[in-house]
Amino acid sequence: MNKIFKNSAVVRALLLGIAFSFTAFTSFGQRTITGTVFSAEENEPLIGATIQVKGGVTGTISDVDGAYSIRATESDTLIFSYVGFLPQAVLVGAQTTIDVALETDAVNMEEVVVIGYGTQRERDLISAISTVESDDIVKTPTPQAMQSLQGRVAGVQIVSNGAPGGAPTVRVRGVGSFEGAGAPLYVVDGMFVDDIDFLNPSDIETMSVLKDASSAAIYGVRAGNGVVLITTKSGSFNQAPQITYDGYYGIQNPQNVIQMSNAQQFAQYIQETGSAADQGFIDNAMQRYGRSTVDPNVPAVNTDWYDLIMSPAPMQSHNVSFSGGTNQTKYSIGLGFIDQEGLLNETRNEFQRFNIRTRVDAILTNWLTVGGNINGSHATRYDGSNAAWFNAYHSVPILPKIDTLNTPASEPQLANAQLLGYRGLQNPFYSLIYNDNRNNIINVVGNFYAQAQIIPDKLSFKTQYNYNFENFNNRSVSFAFNDGVTDRVSSLRRSQQTRFDQVWDNFLTYTDNFGKHNLKVTAGQSYRSEFVEGLFARGTELDPNPTRDNEELWYLDRALNFEQDGIGDFGSNLFFMSYFGRLSYNFDDRYLLYGTYRTDGNNKFQTKWNDFATVGAGWIVSGEPFFNVSGVDFLKLRASWGQLGNDAISPAVGTPTLNPGRLTVFNGAPVEGRIFDPTFDLIDRPETTVETNFGVDARFFNERLSVTADYFIRDTRNLAIFIEQPLIRGAVRRSLGEIRNEGLEVTANWTGGTGDFRYNIGGNFATLNNEVLSLGGADFQQTGGEFLQRSTVGGSYLAFFGYEINGVFQSQADIDNSGYTEEFLANANLTPGDFFFRDQNGDGEINDEDRVALGSFLPDLTFGANLGFSWKNIDFSMLLQGQMGHQILNRKRGEIIFTNDTNIDAELFNNLWRGNGTSDRYPSAAGLRKGWNQNSSEYYIEDGDFWRIQNIQLGYTFGNDRSPNANMPTIRVYATAERPLTVFDYNGFNPEVPNGIDRQVYPVAAVYTLGLNVKF
Amino acid sequence: MKTIKIVFKVTTALLLSAIILPSCQDIVDEPLQNVQPAEEVDYTRSEDMVFLIQGAYGEFNFLQWETYPLISVRGDDVNAAGDQFPLIETDAFRYDRSFWMYNSGWLNLYGDIINSNGLIEGINRFKENGADAQLADQYIAEIRVMRAFAYLQAARLWGDLFIFESSDPTTLVDMEIAEFEEVMQHISDQMDLAIPDLPDARPNQRTDIQNGITRYAALAIKAYANLELKNWQETVNATDEIISSGLFELYPDFYDAFNIPGKNSNESILELQYSDFGQSSGTNTRYLWNFFGPSSYSPAVEGIGGGWGFWEPNEKFIKFMLDRGEETRLIGSVNFTPDGIASLESDPQYSPLPDFVTNVSPDGDIFNNHPRYNFQSAKHYMPSNQYTPGRTTFGDNNNFRVIRYAEVLLMHAEALVSGASSSVMSAEEAVNMVRERAGMPALTSVDLDAVLDEKYAELAMEWGHRFYDLVRHDRIEELDHEINGEQVTYQRNERYLPYPLLQLDLLPQLKDHNNNE
Repeated sequence: MNKIFKNSAVVRALLLGIAFSFTAFTSFGQRTITGTVFSAEENEPLIGATIQVKGGVTGTISDVDGAYSIRATESDTLIFSYVGFLPQAVLVGAQTTIDVALETDAVNMEEVVVIGYGTQRERDLISAISTVESDDIVKTPTPQAMQSLQGRVAGVQIVSNGAPGGAPTVRVRGVGSFEGAGAPLYVVDGMFVDDIDFLNPSDIETMSVLKDASSAAIYGVRAGNGVVLITTKSGSFNQAPQITYDGYYGIQNPQNVIQMSNAQQFAQYIQETGSAADQGFIDNAMQRYGRSTVDPNVPAVNTDWYDLIMSPAPMQSHNVSFSGGTNQTKYSIGLGFIDQEGLLNETRNEFQRFNIRTRVDAILTNWLTVGGNINGSHATRYDGSNAAWFNAYHSVPILPKIDTLNTPASEPQLANAQLLGYRGLQNPFYSLIYNDNRNNIINVVGNFYAQAQIIPDKLSFKTQYNYNFENFNNRSVSFAFNDGVTDRVSSLRRSQQTRFDQVWDNFLTYTDNFGKHNLKVTAGQSYRSEFVEGLFARGTELDPNPTRDNEELWYLDRALNFEQDGIGDFGSNLFFMSYFGRLSYNFDDRYLLYGTYRTDGNNKFQTKWNDFATVGAGWIVSGEPFFNVSGVDFLKLRASWGQLGNDAISPAVGTPTLNPGRLTVFNGAPVEGRIFDPTFDLIDRPETTVETNFGVDARFFNERLSVTADYFIRDTRNLAIFIEQPLIRGAVRRSLGEIRNEGLEVTANWTGGTGDFRYNIGGNFATLNNEVLSLGGADFQQTGGEFLQRSTVGGSYLAFFGYEINGVFQSQADIDNSGYTEEFLANANLTPGDFFFRDQNGDGEINDEDRVALGSFLPDLTFGANLGFSWKNIDFSMLLQGQMGHQILNRKRGEIIFTNDTNIDAELFNNLWRGNGTSDRYPSAAGLRKGWNQNSSEYYIEDGDFWRIQNIQLGYTFGNDRSPNANMPTIRVYATAERPLTVFDYNGFNPEVPNGIDRQVYPVAAVYTLGLNVKF
Repeated sequence: MKTIKIVFKVTTALLLSAIILPSCQDIVDEPLQNVQPAEEVDYTRSEDMVFLIQGAYGEFNFLQWETYPLISVRGDDVNAAGDQFPLIETDAFRYDRSFWMYNSGWLNLYGDIINSNGLIEGINRFKENGADAQLADQYIAEIRVMRAFAYLQAARLWGDLFIFESSDPTTLVDMEIAEFEEVMQHISDQMDLAIPDLPDARPNQRTDIQNGITRYAALAIKAYANLELKNWQETVNATDEIISSGLFELYPDFYDAFNIPGKNSNESILELQYSDFGQSSGTNTRYLWNFFGPSSYSPAVEGIGGGWGFWEPNEKFIKFMLDRGEETRLIGSVNFTPDGIASLESDPQYSPLPDFVTNVSPDGDIFNNHPRYNFQSAKHYMPSNQYTPGRTTFGDNNNFRVIRYAEVLLMHAEALVSGASSSVMSAEEAVNMVRERAGMPALTSVDLDAVLDEKYAELAMEWGHRFYDLVRHDRIEELDHEINGEQVTYQRNERYLPYPLLQLDLLPQLKDHNNNE
């Protein structure tokens, strides 16, 4: 939870005022007592702590160093108090210096949580909100802040992305939309953004995930996939200037690298297929490269492509921040730099980002506060060619990297599989060496607000204006080269996209208490616009030919020719106008009521206005006089219902459109003409989600154990789904889907310790059941062509679909006894080593009627566990996480249905069927190439279950003495191991595949770093 | 109190400005960018009608690589030499409704049909709004020809089909399946509708749409349809009209008829148009010739790319040609590899081979051995010295031949020997005209055997003509041939491919329909 202790500016100012009024009274026979107040746990000076003489009217507050001075007599007792801490009483006696360490008061902590357009006391919350703090976010060495949430938040699934600077896939409570990866809305200090690629993780103070409808509904039409509220760091009022450096250096090490068949195994596999043509390619390789001395039937080449194309890569990050504040202003300035190199060799594959951030808040008058915040980032990302990963899996091991016999080829004379007879070049180094793909991304996110107290403590007005400017510039260059067969000309493509988004919010907040009635009302209006414009062009035959040494000449005006269909532009102008309101009511700290309403107008869909409402109620059982259960400190039950929208889907006008046609030659000139798109999409409204959430919050054993549990049912309607049309390639989109996500989320944490030893242990899990409720009348919809995925009403969305496998036919007798009819067998041409498909309907034939759902790519269960302790100056933390119950389509193996020209992985090779009793999982080598075995079946579908040690961090802090006034910097050194171990059965690099279809994803590396944190 | 006044003033000002600017109703009515609903097209702008015919040609010229081999692979003229299992199996008459190519070919052909329907609707709108009616009718007629061509190919593959004129595919759900004969009659009727509106010219005489569709393409397609219906006289009525126009002549050089010199020649009745626009790189429209290109060769002009080597003349065809003493058409149809030559010579009957059988093309390109094929189609090959300088992708700038005058002559002869009569040209004259160009001696009389042999020699590896000819005349035993040493035999119930599995799921009426009854 977002623990902004209620020692915020307003409260402190109030306390100051009260304190000063006390000091107006003075007594006689007193002396001056001085000292320091600090927190027992963190050794930080407490600014603005109240020091009062017991029973008297005298009082003061501590200054920025936690220091105070008060006049008191020997018999006086001083009361030290501070919000969120247990008060302490000290008899003055003979002392003149009294230093006090206050212990945190977990019971009465008035934690407040950031919610949309305001804050709320955690106690009053009826919503499911999970918050992750800065300390945990920076534990993960990554440029992507969301990556650090993996395993930390129940109900949030993060799918890692191994590419440098690559954004992970984020799913909040399952999949509620199938466009834009169902990504949540990110609200960064009030600005709506689709991703937070630009954000430096160490600039983030807190990230709150609004998981349920009651918390997210205030964001209306944008909230359907969940909302992540991000607050960037700010200074504090009356805070001494602080300079912090935090940096790390580390190595990314590829893990779980797939073993491919080596040359010997490959040769054996080809021999087993009995394919004369493929044997011919091997003969060609032996002729060209010689024979292996070990086995004369194998070429003297044994290439491990993965080993050649990748190597461990460094990564580093450096951040400096300055923060502080006076009693009227506070500031925070941050600079950050991160450099993540990619794993690919011989190409530019790297991500660099520079961040600069400034935030200032100022109390101008007693009724007006203003603030502003600018967050700029400049990133450069060199994408390595993804084709290289694909090629590395499929390229034959009998092809070397370099072939000096390939004399027509450009330096460095890369080997070309075509010269052995294969269809393609295969060698992944062609795409690595002769391509360069650079992205320059500039983001400026700005925010300005003014808050006015209209009726002090009751009614306030806030206006805030946010903008996001993004410039995305891509330059993609292919060098001219000869591959030994074909001359290839150079080309250069540039694309530039500018985005300018604005949000302007104006809202009133009214707070009041009448007796036991506590009321908070918010009402406001919001205007939003999103403008995107872009341009792209492609030229060919650059003069001079681009090489790595003449990057300064990579410009389009050096191109000899252009491609008419390679030049174009695009744009969109979207407008939104919204009105919203919220009511939060609390009776006697026992009964809670909550409701929000928002109406959103848009120009994106034909349905112009959409309404979203939520209501919720909570009961703090432990606040009841009758409640007296020993060991239970706090118990709250809550329930809510709400509506959300998702407009992050492409709009569609819903009628046939006239579109540019295909480029063709017409009277000697290139023309595009016009064609009608008869299969128009019809998306006339945003997707809408209705969610019911039940939750329990409880704390036990003097706050040592806290447990939160939520159960939700989330129905998304008007879901934009793809519907295959008969006779026409390509599906059309219709707002016809209805899908349910249902699950249970439980989080528990235990903290404890004695003396210098403190520890915490926690865990979370979330279940997810995804079910298609309606497909607009159809029983099912499918996609994926040969690798079928089918959504069936009552089943999971896009479940893999095909035959179940009983096993592999071991003998002719097995085939004869298969239960297949003689007539069927006569035509099926089955031999031992072929799959035994399950005849689901028992008609003795295997056909489309026998296909069934083979599992979903969505995990049924995600879990995380964390463990941490600190002892004296040592701190340690560990995070585990895992996902279970999801399937992956091993599409890499499926490629064989399109071409036989490929290698196979060693696991497959080792377990091919080679005679009675050898394998019940895989067909024979010849069988791999047979249509029967290439049918969509369980063979391609594998379990994706995994668990992982996500993060281990060990730190040591120097200069952590008990004196808060010491001018010594606090230095912490730490070592991190990110993802050191992942355990899974799946035959791939990585069991994390965003949509479950693995055509070779970028490997997710383990990262080992050493870091340093210095605070002055 | 003064403070409070200021507070209220400031707040009120902010609130008002927020609510007034910008007006909410205006912004929600802002149109989406860069989308033109068909309903909002200004159909009174008659000069824009040409964009639709341009779009139609764009779709027509775009022939997906898998469509042609699927149509053409069956038969004893050609082998699927690549690694495409569906193609290899189809060649051996082993069909599987889950083959991806079946679904893809189906979608490609029907996509053309539905596009055509939409464009005809659009042109009619222009016509209703005052566009030149004659021009509109001509455009519609051209599109009808494109659509009929797609129907013809689809019906040759699947027999019984859906015929529909709507651009809305959802109307198909309850539609009945038309029998093969109905489809062919529909094609013939459609051509009768189109013919009067089409230019009476050779394609390369057209100036409004150069090398576009003319009356003679429609007549040729009408001839195909009636041939399939065994309406021999209707066939001849169509071919008579083409022949008697006197517009067409055979391109003198058989070998170059398929290369750049023969592009849009006077022999061409229908050709898919592609161009590199004479530029060394940049804008380019091309057929994916890579499919046909040799996987291993030494081009006379270095740096010209090869291809996948998927289209291999069958040895039976080559021996048939050698037996006939064909030289011109053998060189123009087949590229030989050393292994291929050795394989032929291993049969004592063909050893030694004539000198012209060599692995060097007339333009000096050398064909090397390849494990997947012994021969390559020379008809789908472009000599390396015919490329626009700078262009290296196999086949760039060549057109795809669709209907040649030679074929019209042979259809004419086929119908005549099957029972029709013509006052324009006899079967012998037609066949001999084709033979003359091939350097073959004239025949004094021809029968069906002679015509079918002539078609085999002239049209091998083109559009599956050989397969459809033999099936039409039920001479199916002649279809048997060897593929890589395996004897494949054709069964009478293997005329049509099974409907693609993915379509069965969408169109249940296909499930219960046996198209090979």
